[in-house]
Amino acid sequence: MSPSPTVPRPALRHETVLLAVVVLEWLCFHALGPRFGTLENSFDLLRHSAEIGLLALAMTPVILTGGIDLSVGSLLGLCAVLFGKLWRDAGLDPAAAAGCTLVLGALAGGLNATLIAGLRLPPLIVTLGTYSLFRGLAEAITRGADTFTNFPSAFLFLGQERWLGLPTQAWLFAAVAIAVWLLVHRTTFGRACRAQGFAPEGARYAGLPAGRQLAAVYVLSGTIAALAAVIYTARLGQARADAGTGYELLAITAVVLGGTSIFGGRGSVHGTLLGVAALAILNNGLVHARQPREVAGLLTGALLLLALAAGTGPKLWAARRARATPPPSP
Amino acid sequence: MGRAARPRDPPSLPLMIKPALSLLLCGLVFLAGCGRAPEAARDAGGGGKRLTVALLPKSKGNAYFISCRAGAEKAARALGVELLFDGPTDTDPAKQNEIIENWITLGVDVIAAACENREGISTALRKAQARGIKVITYDADALPDARAFFVNQATPEGIGHTLMDEAARLTNAEGEFAVILSTLTASNMQEWLKHIRARLAEKYPKMKLVAVRPCDDQKDKAQAEATTLMSAHPNLRLLMNICSPAVPGAAEAVKQAGKAGQVKVIGLGLPNENRRYVKDGVTDSVILWKTEDLGALTVEAAVALARGALQPGATTFRTAAGASYEVKGDQILLGQPFIFNRANIDQFNF
Repeated sequence: MSPSPTVPRPALRHETVLLAVVVLEWLCFHALGPRFGTLENSFDLLRHSAEIGLLALAMTPVILTGGIDLSVGSLLGLCAVLFGKLWRDAGLDPAAAAGCTLVLGALAGGLNATLIAGLRLPPLIVTLGTYSLFRGLAEAITRGADTFTNFPSAFLFLGQERWLGLPTQAWLFAAVAIAVWLLVHRTTFGRACRAQGFAPEGARYAGLPAGRQLAAVYVLSGTIAALAAVIYTARLGQARADAGTGYELLAITAVVLGGTSIFGGRGSVHGTLLGVAALAILNNGLVHARQPREVAGLLTGALLLLALAAGTGPKLWAARRARATPPPSP
Repeated sequence: MGRAARPRDPPSLPLMIKPALSLLLCGLVFLAGCGRAPEAARDAGGGGKRLTVALLPKSKGNAYFISCRAGAEKAARALGVELLFDGPTDTDPAKQNEIIENWITLGVDVIAAACENREGISTALRKAQARGIKVITYDADALPDARAFFVNQATPEGIGHTLMDEAARLTNAEGEFAVILSTLTASNMQEWLKHIRARLAEKYPKMKLVAVRPCDDQKDKAQAEATTLMSAHPNLRLLMNICSPAVPGAAEAVKQAGKAGQVKVIGLGLPNENRRYVKDGVTDSVILWKTEDLGALTVEAAVALARGALQPGATTFRTAAGASYEVKGDQILLGQPFIFNRANIDQFNF
């Protein structure tokens, strides 16, 4: 369907703008850093962004419902420590320990879910509480000093080696990305999440099981944080209570950069993936362009604000023009 | 998408690329970039290139490492090598690993790291070694198999002896003194105390260590301990503070008690946090190493290792400038600690 010439040109879709930004970034750094475009560096990019990417993927449905989960970074730390504890002290083999860690992550997410969906407490406050609680638990379990290390190489394979040509964790990341994309964009659950974020009261009057849905997104977020913890531990070969410090904000930045409204209701998983890519390329590329690391923070902020303005600015302008000259009736 | 269902939305444009298509495009660009890989790698690995040394601090904004960097840059200029200096700016413990992995891809020749996480960073350093990059550590060591040499800024013996000798010099080797340390259980504290006691028994029979008190690495607690020590031991001649927060803490206590000069204060610490007390004549000497020298020696050793001038098993290391350093096993020793006092403290800023 081609637009009739009288209808004002709609703004570019946010994801399109962001894609252009990602491509531009890529070309820019490709020109500046001779090794930026190498396959090896692309694998580094994938490895370094897998954990934050996973957290951002899980954060997308949470923010779509109009909520937020500030506890994921701390939960990553707690799960890393629990994983280490299960493997070293309880004597489980890494696969079993990883399985238990996922269950524990789901339980921790369940705590958020109970407080938010059950007691109807605001997500910001609840997860601010668990943000401190989870980190505190991780520090208490290790007394701040215990470090888990010397993992078997079969486990480190997950974080440091390649499988079928790609970094091992990239496969897991891709699987989760596809699953979350399908969940958000192709199921009634995803639509209900959006409805919930767009108009909570409306969703309730429409008979949607708002409580169960809300609970599910936080449990999902907890489980994926646990998965990220296992991958993180395999990548570093070390689990300590300070793992994942500050990751929640990076994940939220990626989601918002990806065009998801912080008020809920609007957004997409592919947008989030592009957001993760934009941030990862920026961080990595600056090193290749031999620029100081401090610049990354500055440019991340500028990129976020510019992308948001580029996404909404033309839309506002188009809307204003549409109001000024109402389109003739067909 | 959800937006499209809303009635006031404008119709879609040809410009609106569908999400799947956009991801595909993204992938294409990615692959196009990858295609260039082999030649680029060959170019950068070419023979006539300057040697690149990458220096990793524990944290980038730390004054201690900034002054290491200053020394390292001087050495790099003198040796005609390129120096990269980068480190974490936040508390994310995975950052050091990421920086090293980036350097591996960049194809640097030597990595010199001050390690925040001994075990965690060793993973990345081993990977660098596997790719033919030389690795040394400085300031804080990694696991021994993850690096060729550790540039050790101070041995426990050197620290213990320098502290004790300085205490003896200030008190004419007689009278009571007390030690304030971080905790009684910390292994470095135990080690230093052992050497202080050994030196005391060996050389200074007229001096007496009357108390050893912990301050939990807190300045205010050190101040309280120092006050208590001075009233419990009226003949106390000197306070020896072997953790850095205790030096200004004890100095403040001595100053407030009006005993400046009567009770001497010495300790391990940074010049900047003690400058005021040293200038006021409360603290007599602050003991540490010259951080600029540490940075310079690290770069010297890194370059020598890359050029084959420094081999495992060496017992001395001679720098290009002609200075000679002792090598003990796989550790290059910076030498005796340096004493900062009223006469020289203004030359240092860290």
